[in-house]
Amino acid sequence: MQTRERWLWAILGALWLAAIGAGARVLWSYQSTPGEHAAERRLWPAASRLPRDPARPTLVLVAHPHCACTRASLAELAGLMRRLRGRVAARVVFVRPAGLPAGWERTDTWRTAQGIPEVTVWADPGGVEAARFGARTSGQVLLYGQDGRLLFSGGITPIRGHVGDSAGQERIVSLVTTGRADAATSKVFGCALGTAAGRGPEGKGA
Amino acid sequence: MNVLDLDDGAARALQIAERARALYAEQRQRVLRRVDRMFFGLMGGQWVFGIVVALLYSPYAWEGKQQAIHLHVYLAVFLGGALSLFPMLLAWRRPGWVVTRQVIAVSQMLWSALLIHLTGGRIETHFHVFGSLAFLAFYLDWRVLGTASAVVLVDHLARGLLWPESVYGIANPEWWRFLEHGFWVAFEDVFLLIACRNGIQDMWRGARRQAEVEVLRESDELKTFALEMALAEARS
Repeated sequence: MQTRERWLWAILGALWLAAIGAGARVLWSYQSTPGEHAAERRLWPAASRLPRDPARPTLVLVAHPHCACTRASLAELAGLMRRLRGRVAARVVFVRPAGLPAGWERTDTWRTAQGIPEVTVWADPGGVEAARFGARTSGQVLLYGQDGRLLFSGGITPIRGHVGDSAGQERIVSLVTTGRADAATSKVFGCALGTAAGRGPEGKGA
Repeated sequence: MNVLDLDDGAARALQIAERARALYAEQRQRVLRRVDRMFFGLMGGQWVFGIVVALLYSPYAWEGKQQAIHLHVYLAVFLGGALSLFPMLLAWRRPGWVVTRQVIAVSQMLWSALLIHLTGGRIETHFHVFGSLAFLAFYLDWRVLGTASAVVLVDHLARGLLWPESVYGIANPEWWRFLEHGFWVAFEDVFLLIACRNGIQDMWRGARRQAEVEVLRESDELKTFALEMALAEARS
């Protein structure tokens, strides 16, 4: 092979590595950027239509039915429910933004959520419930104790739309099984819900 | 046996060794080119597959009721294209070249990482890593497996240091945690390296056998020719 050709391949190789590096950076940045955390609601919202279980902690997962990241959140919720085996009740709330027809939220993620034991699924027209709980990002999980106090607020996927062990899951398991955890929050990864969560009343009790 | 016979035997052995080396190199080059062609097709197929996966799995990103093409679709098209096109160009223009298979090894393992991301980290997609290693072993070149395994290890080490949650799900894993993942890659590598060594040895043996047959046949032909000449001379 001639020197000129070697140089040509070397330049092409350098460009190839640069293109891969740039692409990986974009992917990394997207996957690792968390969504907006929920506005704090220290107590179970009084106006909520969702039933809270007085005998055990209640977990609320607020999700966007069309967001690809919801699949990962539900896969992790299924794992979490298997680990906790009846020690927690769960409600999955699918937000249907205002102006969209009824049934828009009945996607494959809805059916997946329905298939998880101990989970009840709720449609949330206009994102009213999501706003009551302060949720702004799909995948937001809130864990309330039997007394209606907020125990945990955060996400249960390690990165955006990606299944796998996460700090959020470990904290929920620890809180439910021992009553303690190293932290009561975690990052939330998912699509923006487009709710008016920030404008809701904060800290109103059940 | 006289001195002339010994010289004759040594010359024949030398001739066989030289011919075996040439046959081996020829066969080796044929194998390398064939595997390069296979990867040319695989790279193209993976690119299409990556785009299809992105379109099916995460076609849109949402913000309330607003939807936009998901970043994964763009990454499948452009990053996937970058990953595939350079190795394809090398396999097309420079098949059999050592650089071609090294680039293919790097690209193939990066394809595993991209597909894992495109499928949301599904555990099943991780099998692509092990399938790829087996496919790369078709080159019968330990250096190719070394490069591919190093890509996996460096990826885990770098992400484990920069953002451990993305690999291990916890913020402070033990520093050696990447070795646990690397162990299973090494586990497969051991068997593939043995298979590569056996494949190379078989190729050598085949080349040697063929060289012996060729040299003996040539020697027999020479003897027959000499005999025919002698007979023809005697008749005349």
